[in-house]
Order: sequence, then structure tokens, then C-alpha cells
Amino acid sequence: MDPIAGLMQGFSVALQPMNLVWAFVGTLLGTAIGVLPGIGPALTIALLLPVTVYLDPTAAFIMFAGIFYGAMYGGSTTSILLNTPGESGAMMTALEGNKMARQGRGAAALSTAAIGSFVAGTIGTLGLTFLAPPIAELAFIFKPQDYFALMLLAFLSVSVVMGTSKVRGFIALFIGLSLGLVGIDKATGQQRLVFGVPDLLDGVEMTVVLVSLFAIGETLYVASRFGLHVPQLNPLAGGIWMTKEDWKRSWKPWLRGTAFGFPIGALPAGGSEIPTFLSYVTERKLTKYPEEFGHGAIEGVAGPEAANNASAAGVLVPLLTLGLPTSATAAIMLAAFQNYGLQPGPMLFINSGDLVWGLIASLYIGNLMLLILNLPLAGLWVRLLFIPRPYLYAGILIFSLVGIWGVSNSWVDLAMMFAVGCLGYVMRVYDFPIAPVLIGLILGPMAEVQLRRALAISQGDPTVLVSTPLSAVLMAAAVLIVAVPAALHWHRTRKITFPDGDES
Amino acid sequence: MTERPYWLAAGTAGWGAIVLWKAHELPQFDQYAHIGPGLMPTAVGAGLVLLGLILALQIRRGVPFEEQGAEDVNDNHVVSHKALTLAAAACALPLLTMKPLGFVVTCTGCFVLVAAAFKSRRWGLNLALGAVVSLVTWWLFGKLGVQLGGLLPALGV
Repeated sequence: MDPIAGLMQGFSVALQPMNLVWAFVGTLLGTAIGVLPGIGPALTIALLLPVTVYLDPTAAFIMFAGIFYGAMYGGSTTSILLNTPGESGAMMTALEGNKMARQGRGAAALSTAAIGSFVAGTIGTLGLTFLAPPIAELAFIFKPQDYFALMLLAFLSVSVVMGTSKVRGFIALFIGLSLGLVGIDKATGQQRLVFGVPDLLDGVEMTVVLVSLFAIGETLYVASRFGLHVPQLNPLAGGIWMTKEDWKRSWKPWLRGTAFGFPIGALPAGGSEIPTFLSYVTERKLTKYPEEFGHGAIEGVAGPEAANNASAAGVLVPLLTLGLPTSATAAIMLAAFQNYGLQPGPMLFINSGDLVWGLIASLYIGNLMLLILNLPLAGLWVRLLFIPRPYLYAGILIFSLVGIWGVSNSWVDLAMMFAVGCLGYVMRVYDFPIAPVLIGLILGPMAEVQLRRALAISQGDPTVLVSTPLSAVLMAAAVLIVAVPAALHWHRTRKITFPDGDES
Repeated sequence: MTERPYWLAAGTAGWGAIVLWKAHELPQFDQYAHIGPGLMPTAVGAGLVLLGLILALQIRRGVPFEEQGAEDVNDNHVVSHKALTLAAAACALPLLTMKPLGFVVTCTGCFVLVAAAFKSRRWGLNLALGAVVSLVTWWLFGKLGVQLGGLLPALGV
């Protein structure tokens, strides 16, 4: 469908009064939960899944759009005011934002983040509007081997990019892959890794794993290391608005951040770490006030924050058109789609055009609502940071139990919650990245299906996997993404450790 | 002193071995799709064993393990095992009580335990707050259509 016509149709759905209410509720809930310490965007969406599950799909996804951007913004509020980035994409925002807050410029930092998010989100959504339909068309000529190569690339890049250690990234990915194998094999009907437990025949529930890894793992981790100190909050002095000078210094970083964020986020190997980092470095180079960097430069908030939001919109491109989640947040969105029996991918634009375009239109509306909601209400959100920690984390556990027990009232899910929660704790203590587990769990079974299809068509000839130009290029990229850093690392460490002799 | 958590490597390889063992019971190849149900588990299991070995090597070489940062975590990373046990107990409690005692009682218990893990000592207040929060959550999500079970399953309510 023509994007303009599609979008108009989407707006006609999204602007219905009841749907506007859902968008508003979503934005409000998304921001409120996202602001809470310890809860990043992915977990916000996971915790709110049970709320949306019983709405009709269109209303639910409209609400989702609000939750999505609300949670993103809520996360940056905590980074700026508490210096505690809930996810890797917010790290750069925290760097300068918290310094600004300490100088009593918290309000300006929050404003530039809010407006930057709006600008980036709107441009990103525009990009999504015009980019998604052609890619969805393109996806029709995708052969199974192309999909498989694309997924392989996503696996490898997620494991290599996230976290500090590649080995630990791969271990996280393989744990996810192994969890994804549990259940009845769809092609042959054989039971795999079920260990005789009937509840596992349907496979491992994505929501259970996600909530346990994030919420339970986080609760255990924070409880064990909790200090009785009161959070160092910086009052929102200096008014809500930015000065004229702030505007002048912010608008270019917003645009540049968007330019980094959207295209990189849209790549199957994208994510938000690289664009936010690039944006930060660029702003530091281009600024007229280099001495302020490291002490609260507004460009260092405006750019990365825009890049972060734009990449979030970019991530929706592979998600909606190819069914390929490339971040934890996208993985949980995919799970939400699957809850409704919808499979994101090219067919979604044809079979459920109303829903997809309604969702895209809601992204525009949610973004605008967020801006209207957040500039005046920033002071209110800040109060949420004062909730006493014992009650906050106790509440998080209860909410997690709603999500986990509510799925199927299964005792096995509760046992899984405990086990995966402990896993999440260990992963935090020993610095294993968490997102690869989710990507492996969700993409693993899909990759297997594509691999089988490709081999079935080629009658077992493995060279089919690189038989199309696209699959060959993607495979080569996948190999390079692992080989190049490994070779560089080997080269470097060999040089350094050589004089030490046989110590290792 | 470098911490050497070999058990991480053992756990990874051990889980890999379990996956491999279960995969071994399945056909590896298939007439039609050529990839049988067992091939992926074999690959994943083998990968985990291999990664476990690499991790063990890294640990032997003394790779540092830096804890991840989180909100509300004190900087000196003093681990309170008592708090950890209490929080873990809160997460394990549903395993024992969810079926017989239901959502509200279980969540009240969880609430009190987590609050205790976070060094809150106002037991009476925590109990009352936990009960109210659990009851409201149970009622509200019940209204929304989420099946959370009866109020007190043991009494048949």
C-alpha cells in the first residue's frame, strides 16, 4: 500500500476518541513505570503486557505505541536525575545529563531530552512510515537462506556488540538458544528438552523469561547490595524551560543524533549503543564549548538522547517488516504480537494493514502526547523516584507475579521464574549481557525453521545458504563481525603478553 | 586477588552436556528437511560445552568480572547474604503457596519478605500494605480479565 494512504487510514483509526484514550493511558503508564528505578523500557512493556492482552488488538497496539515511547522517556529521566541508566542506550545521556542536574540544570536537561526525543521520534517514525512498506515488499523476494543469514548476523552482532566480553555474550546467546529449543519440534512433532514435564511441551514462555531475567534478577541483585543511603536527587531548579542559548545549542545535536540513530537502529545489527556513542563523540568534537564536556554540556544530552529515541524507531523497521527483533525491547514487542496470533513480517502489512498503520499513526500521536505530558509533569515524575525502595521492589515482585502467574497459572512457570531469576542475578554479578538470551530464545526457533526450509528446497545441499547475493553478503558480514575483532584482539594481546613469557 | 569463579564455566558446560545428552536421544537427520529434530540441540549443546571450556581458560588467565551497575546499588558492593537470602525466599515462596493459598496471600508474603530484604523493619505496616496492594492488584487485574485464581483456593473461594 502507498505509505500516505496507509498513514491516513492509520490516523483515521488512531484518532477515534477511544483509541486516543488508550494512547494516553499507554503514554502515562509507560512513563510512570519507566521512571521507576530498576525498570527499563523492555521490562516496562513486559510488565504491562497483561494489561493489554485483553484489549482488542488495534487498541492494544495503540496503547503499546504510547508505552513504548513513554518507557523510553521515563528511562532517560532516571538517567539524568539519578545517574543510573536503566539500559545501555541511556548511558551517554547519563554522562552529561547527571552533571547538568548536579549543577541545578536538571530541568533544562530533562527538557532538551524530552524535546530531542520528540524530534527524533517524529523523524524516526517518518522514516519508518516511508521505509517500512518498500522493505516489506522486498521481503517477499527474500528466500529462506536470506532470512537465515540475516538471523545469523543478528545473533552474532548482538553477542559481540553487547557487554564487555564476547565469550560471555555468546554464552548468553546460547543459553537463550537452548531455552528456545524446549518444547515440541514444530517440523517433526518430537519432544525436545522437555524432561517429561507436560507444561514444557508448549515451549518456554517468553514473558516468563523476560520478567524473571530483568525484574527478579534485578530485585535479587539490588537487595543484596542495597545501601541505606537516600538517593541523591537534584531539585528541578531553574524553571522548566530551556534558555535561548540552550535551544541554540540543542537543535543541531537533535538532528545529528537522529541521523545516527535511525539508520543504525534499522540495521539488523544495529542497537542503540553505537549511535548514542557516535553522537556523543561527534558533539564533543563539534561543540564550541569543549571545556564543558564532562561537566554538564547540554549538547551531550541532546544528541545521544535523540540518537537513542531515533534508534528505537529504527528498530521497529526490521521488527515490523521482517519480524526480526534486534533489541530486548523489540523482542518483547514481538512476543506481544505473537500473543495476538500475529507474526510480524511482510504479510502483516497485507493481512493486518489497519493494525500496523494504526500502530504507526499512534507512534506520532504518542510522541506528541509525551511532549505535552512531560514538560509540565516532569516534577510529578520526579516524585516517583522517592518511593521507598522496600515497597518499590516488593511492588515490582507482585507485578511480576501477575505477569507470570497470569499467563497460564502454571507451577512450572513459577519454578522457572525462580531459576531464571537466579540466573539473572548471576549474570549481573559476573557481567553477562542479558539481551542475547532473549534474542536467542525468540530468534533461535525462527532461524531453525528458515534453515530447514532452505535445505529442504535445495535437497540438503548446504551451499544453498550462500547461493543468493544477499545471503552471501550477509554471511560474509556475519563472519567478519566475529573474525575482525577477534583477530585484532589476538594481535594486540599477543604483543602485550609476549614479554611475560609463559604466564598464561 | 582475582576471583576465579570456575563454577560459571562448569555450569555452562554442564548445561551444554545436558542439552547434548537429550539431543542424542533424538534423530539428527531427517529425510525431508535434512535437519532432524536433534541436530540443533546437538549444535547448541556442543556450543555451550565449548564456550564453557573457553570461559574456564579465561578464568584461569584471570579475566576480571566486574559487576554490572544498577540503580540503587551502593558503590562499595558489599554483598549482604542475609538480604539476598530473604529476597530469594520471596521469589521461592510462590512455589509453595501459590497453589494452596492463592495469589493474595502469596503476594502479601512476598511483599513482606522483599521489604525485609530491603531492611524495612516495620512488620505490621508492611504486612498491612502488602495485603492491600495484593488485594487491589488481584481485584484490578481480575477485572481486566487476567486469570489469577481464587481469593483463597484452599477454602474454595
